[in-house]
Amino acid sequence: MRSLYLNPFIQLRLPLQFRAFRDSCSSSHSYICKCNRRIRKFGSISARLNNSEETKQQQQQLNLSVLRFTLGIPGFDESILPRWIGYGFGSLLLLNHFVGSNSTITPAQLSSEALGLSLAAFSIALPYLGKFLKGMTPMDQSTLPDGNVQIFVMSENLSDTQKEDLAWGTYILLRNTNTISVLISIQDALCVRGYWNTPEDVSKASIIDWFKRQIDQLGLSDLKDTLYFPQSPDSGLWVMLPKGTRSLLVQPVLRAPNSSANETKEIEGLVMLASSMSYAYSNKDRAWIAAVANKFRGENTCTYF
Amino acid sequence: MEAGSILRPISWPPKRPLRRLLPSFVRASSDDLQSGGYRGLKPKRDWISEWVSNNDDTVRSLPIYVGGISLLAVLFNRSVSGIAPVADASSSQSRADLLTLGLAVTNVLTGLVWLSIRPKSISVVIPQGVECQRICPDLPDTLISELLWFWETLSVVTCCRSLVIVYQSSCLLQIGVAAECSTNGGDAVIVDAKKLMQGSLYQGVMKSGAQSYLANLSLYPGRSELPFLPSNTQAVILQPLGDKGIAIIGGDTVRGFTNADQAWITLIAEKLDATLSKFANNLKLAVQG
Repeated sequence: MRSLYLNPFIQLRLPLQFRAFRDSCSSSHSYICKCNRRIRKFGSISARLNNSEETKQQQQQLNLSVLRFTLGIPGFDESILPRWIGYGFGSLLLLNHFVGSNSTITPAQLSSEALGLSLAAFSIALPYLGKFLKGMTPMDQSTLPDGNVQIFVMSENLSDTQKEDLAWGTYILLRNTNTISVLISIQDALCVRGYWNTPEDVSKASIIDWFKRQIDQLGLSDLKDTLYFPQSPDSGLWVMLPKGTRSLLVQPVLRAPNSSANETKEIEGLVMLASSMSYAYSNKDRAWIAAVANKFRGENTCTYF
Repeated sequence: MEAGSILRPISWPPKRPLRRLLPSFVRASSDDLQSGGYRGLKPKRDWISEWVSNNDDTVRSLPIYVGGISLLAVLFNRSVSGIAPVADASSSQSRADLLTLGLAVTNVLTGLVWLSIRPKSISVVIPQGVECQRICPDLPDTLISELLWFWETLSVVTCCRSLVIVYQSSCLLQIGVAAECSTNGGDAVIVDAKKLMQGSLYQGVMKSGAQSYLANLSLYPGRSELPFLPSNTQAVILQPLGDKGIAIIGGDTVRGFTNADQAWITLIAEKLDATLSKFANNLKLAVQG
């Protein structure tokens, strides 16, 4: 098991593309899909209001599963189909307007085309809105951008236990989240793992110092609040981030509230995660990441640092 | 050897529901950032994401209303303009109408799909029992810290309300809500580790070596082998700790543990097993002493 944590080349979690409606139904998530219920009649569709009406509404709910379909194209994400239909039909509307009209365009046609283009724009936006609905899982597939180097380095002069904890922490974060790069900095100890954009002129011996300088330049050592950039953080500022980073999460490691009064420093360190997917970290992911970060707190956990 | 009461008070950060943690994750206060010394940009507030999350039902129905109204508008436009309501693609007006109808139908179908995959929220069941904090005495501090971190993580991030860890035929930790002892009111039922290990649940988990998730505990006859859990525990995860122990994690929601939770628990259990193995000799002495 120890060798697994310390293996520098671990397979990163790359979520497979899957069809949203099917997989969200097949998981053992507490939010189960309404599936396999008989159609009674097509009535009005009403949104669920509150728990007290749940029983009544369950009797009225329709079996809409017949409307779900798949094109059967492996690797194709059907949730973005409305976007492609919007692009296609919107283009055809414009083509019809400029090329298809032999005579003067009537106001009725203009009204139809305006309505059509508005609907096309709405259809294009639908997959983006759908991403934030409850129960939806990220559709993008994490990729390994080119031009980055996979590294696994730790500070020197660490005990075996410290090394094991850092290796485990980085391993579990890479395995269980959509992360391609992880950095854990706890007091004077630093562990960097995954794909990073390091300068070619920086030697392996001084790479740790280089990362520490980057952290100091940004003032991340004094960060108290969690930072989450779900979309493309300013790469010009974050030099060390791998190319193609689209999500960034920085989780500070704070001392436990019940720690002794002798220690004045509240901030123990930080955990930084980068992903090549946008909106890579859901609320649940961030809660787990915070829990792993708490593992490295002093006093309340293994006091190795 | 049964687990004794703790010899020193265990204090940890009060359990915070996941919901209360969310605002601090998404928002970044500029004041805190500036006073903390951070010199980078702060993330912008994602208004669209927040609006969609806060109005989930409305957003799911929105494409249906937009598509339906557009459909009616096309028909109305056609009738007001005096054009015959025929599906004819010979004129540019008709082509524009057909394309618009196609988009309207697309929106309606998308809305229906969103409604069909709406998550079903299952209510939380408050466990009936007594608060319990039992830890095997004389365990090394580092091990106690790791066990308490495990409990804190589960109780904050998941629907876990009860945790029992049995290792090397002894109960190391019993924490959270436990079943109340009928003979000694107010006390929690003590975990009989040996009896648990003879039961089918434990044997099955040890044989498979894999996590066992009882998503709706009331459906399982083996429920009787877990008398120390509250009687209305909704879901249980049985996580093997190597081949010498087991972690029994009780939740307050049917199917409350997600796939992500299961994956995290599996990996954390491997770390816990490694730590417990390291202190195996100390454990034997602590239990026997």
